[in-house]
Amino acid sequence: MFPKVLAAEFLKLRHSRVPVVSLLAFSLGPLGLWLFMWIAAEPGRARNLGLIGAKAGLMGLTATWPSFLTMFAEMVGGGGLLLLAFVVAYLFGREYVEGTAKVMLATPAPRHLFVLAKFLVAAVWWACIVTGVLVEAAVIGLGLGLRGFTPALASTALSQTFVLAGVAFLLTTFEGWIAVLGRGYLAPLGFAIGTLALGDLFGHTGWAQWFPWSIMSLLAGTAGPRTSSLPPGSLLVLVLTCILGIAATAAQLRWGDNTQ
Amino acid sequence: MSGDVAIAARSLTKRYAAVTAVRDLRLTVRRGEIYGFLGLNGAGKTTTIRMLLGLIRPTAGSVEVMGDPVRPGATRFLRRVGCLIESATAYPNLTVRENLELQRRLTEAPQEAVDETIDLMGLGPYAPRRAGDLSFGNRQRLALGRALLHHPDLIVLDEPANGLDPAGIVEIRELLRSLSREHGVTVFMSSHILSEVAQLADRLGIVHQGRLLEELDRGQLEQKMRAFLEIGTPEPDRAEAALAAAGFGDVSAVADGLRLFATKERTPDVARALLQGGIPFTGIAPRKEDLESYFLRLTGGEH
Repeated sequence: MFPKVLAAEFLKLRHSRVPVVSLLAFSLGPLGLWLFMWIAAEPGRARNLGLIGAKAGLMGLTATWPSFLTMFAEMVGGGGLLLLAFVVAYLFGREYVEGTAKVMLATPAPRHLFVLAKFLVAAVWWACIVTGVLVEAAVIGLGLGLRGFTPALASTALSQTFVLAGVAFLLTTFEGWIAVLGRGYLAPLGFAIGTLALGDLFGHTGWAQWFPWSIMSLLAGTAGPRTSSLPPGSLLVLVLTCILGIAATAAQLRWGDNTQ
Repeated sequence: MSGDVAIAARSLTKRYAAVTAVRDLRLTVRRGEIYGFLGLNGAGKTTTIRMLLGLIRPTAGSVEVMGDPVRPGATRFLRRVGCLIESATAYPNLTVRENLELQRRLTEAPQEAVDETIDLMGLGPYAPRRAGDLSFGNRQRLALGRALLHHPDLIVLDEPANGLDPAGIVEIRELLRSLSREHGVTVFMSSHILSEVAQLADRLGIVHQGRLLEELDRGQLEQKMRAFLEIGTPEPDRAEAALAAAGFGDVSAVADGLRLFATKERTPDVARALLQGGIPFTGIAPRKEDLESYFLRLTGGEH
């Protein structure tokens, strides 16, 4: 039955503009990085660009592949948390906003299969976006003629990007539960923003590696020194968070009242 | 549960905090019959339907549908059930055909079921059109088609005539009748269009303020619908007093006159009482309650 449910979930996206819009929105990120790199490459012009130039100068940026790829990985991790929240909120919340939840739930397919299928769709959707922006970033980097490219750097940057993208995905299953609980889009988006802020806050404490939403800050280096690898304890926390989110969503559909 | 019962609800109760939406509801729907489930807005019809389909959990009581207990997580019984709940909804970005294809996959119906349903519901011209661009009536047809697509043994319909034009209502009525009579499909339908239910249902359940007030078949309904005399008079107050003096007590005011619950054999006595009282009247017509009047009388006429 699962392949049929999965096929049905992919079919639900046909003719929808949302996947393309999400890709276009996320592709603005590398364009922003291009601007920073361009400013860093041209410090004279940066001084004439007001705040952006000043900020780029303050960050001590250099127009090199290592700088560019580090910023890109941070963007995929941090931005990915928000984008994935939007994707998951859309996949689950639309059923309530469009009034189709009752159609979906009154079919013979076991309800937990919808949960698994929707998260799998979100994973594929996210993988396509990450791949898309990776290609975009490569084109931008080559176009700018950045210095310092080595195969080892590319390999490290790729693995770092995929780790951050994976961590972002592991952290978004709770948005599915919140979307089902709140029967719409807004609650999961609010939850994502809240956890992002909390993650940043806890990122500055000694609990950072145990608080799921701070682990991203540790890996991306946005809340202190960057952690080069994921500690086993943090990995366990992330996997448990992911499983708990999926289980909570499935339990909500199974035990909760679907009154929409 | 005996094999000829499609739906059996026992002491079904649903409470939301201080509000009891459905209380101690006992309901039996036999296989192959058309069961009309009537009630005012907020009477508990949709809550009951949702409990029958396992969409909400009863606070107390139990339900069996097609012999299977409806429990949290149980979806097997839905293989034999098609439904339309409240408003007709569909995935707006998908075409009519794609919406039906989606349902086909989830119900594991055969490939040809989509084309059959499009023909059955007269959706041919709209098949390539997105559901979000359909008129309300055609969306209702799509929702009905989705309910019927996998040839269910039980169809649960919440307000199936919503949004349909008169021709569409007749068409759906005939379709449901034929499914029940020729294919033995059980139909459980709620509706606020009582005339529609009266023409179609074999049995009725009347729910009011969360309680099932009455469950009766056509013969019983016929017996319970009372005969009355409709008296046209410009002076209803004086007429009522004159009738009361003559021993006629069950009188109520209606537009342009009075309604007196009495059989047509009492017409001469009523005319005599009015003439003796010097009350002008334009006519005395024997009538019988229809389902609407009976329903309003039973539920206290509250809206």
